[in-house]
Amino acid sequence: MPRRMIVYSKKSEPLKRVFLKLGDEPYHIINIVFAGVIVMILAYSGIFSPEKNNYPVVCIHERLTGQPCFSCGLSHSFSLIVRGRIQEAYKWNQYGMRVFLFFVSQLLFRIDFLRLSIKHPDNRRQLIIYDSIGSGLIFLISFWPFIAGIIKGFLQVL
Amino acid sequence: MEEAKNNTGQNLGIAALITAIVTFVLAVIPCVGLIAIIPGIIAIILASVGLPQAARRNEPKGILIAGLIIAIIASMISLSQVFVAGKIARHADKWPNEIQNVIKDVQDNVVKDMEDANISIKIDSNGDTVEVHTSTKNAGKEQKLEELEGVNAQKNDSLQQKK
Repeated sequence: MPRRMIVYSKKSEPLKRVFLKLGDEPYHIINIVFAGVIVMILAYSGIFSPEKNNYPVVCIHERLTGQPCFSCGLSHSFSLIVRGRIQEAYKWNQYGMRVFLFFVSQLLFRIDFLRLSIKHPDNRRQLIIYDSIGSGLIFLISFWPFIAGIIKGFLQVL
Repeated sequence: MEEAKNNTGQNLGIAALITAIVTFVLAVIPCVGLIAIIPGIIAIILASVGLPQAARRNEPKGILIAGLIIAIIASMISLSQVFVAGKIARHADKWPNEIQNVIKDVQDNVVKDMEDANISIKIDSNGDTVEVHTSTKNAGKEQKLEELEGVNAQKNDSLQQKK
């Protein structure tokens, strides 16, 4: 049975090496996947417009309880930020901007840490530690109103 | 092929960690936090399947353990939201009665305020001015009526005396 051969030209060899390097390391795969997820979130904000109000994600909390939650209007807020209408975005959800900035910062982090990890493979462990601490802190700062709200709601119900 | 099989534990670890982190972010957003339990369970299953495989092949287990811990925490946050939403939804049945009571209270207050209201109406038309002052106070009205009745009664009395 003839074997299928993939012939790489000399020009494509560096590209092949880059892909092999990316696939070898779990940290690289995680970075690429998260960057993809964030790009999808930004695309979602760009595709669905606040004027048409055609967002597929609905607030399950509001449907169940009849009460709006802290994150209601986040999709509208993201869409308005993408379109540069910051004032309106604040009206839809006052925490929209900080959550949006978290996603943007994470996109930049993923790209930069991926670049650094490929460039300096010996310092990868250190990079992962810095990344975890930095991302964790940014996450806490950005999502703190939601986290505090969840804790408060839980304590009130108890 | 063998190499691919050997990497199964690590691949499961990557999948578990990614799913767990996504679950964590979803879990702290109240709008979608309730459904974050689903990817949370998927992440726990992935990590649980990967851990024994990694142990059998002496592979690093760091990613799997990290994925499992994050998935458990995220699932707990999501579960707490389900619990809170459930409680609120149960209380929501009592809300219509409470709302009706509040509306009744407000109506009573408005009626009470209207009873004590002083109303002034001023109409200007071609230089002529008509000014009407009135009070909705029941007590004031009763007093005025008594006064009027008193005056009339005196007049009647005087008339009777003349006769």
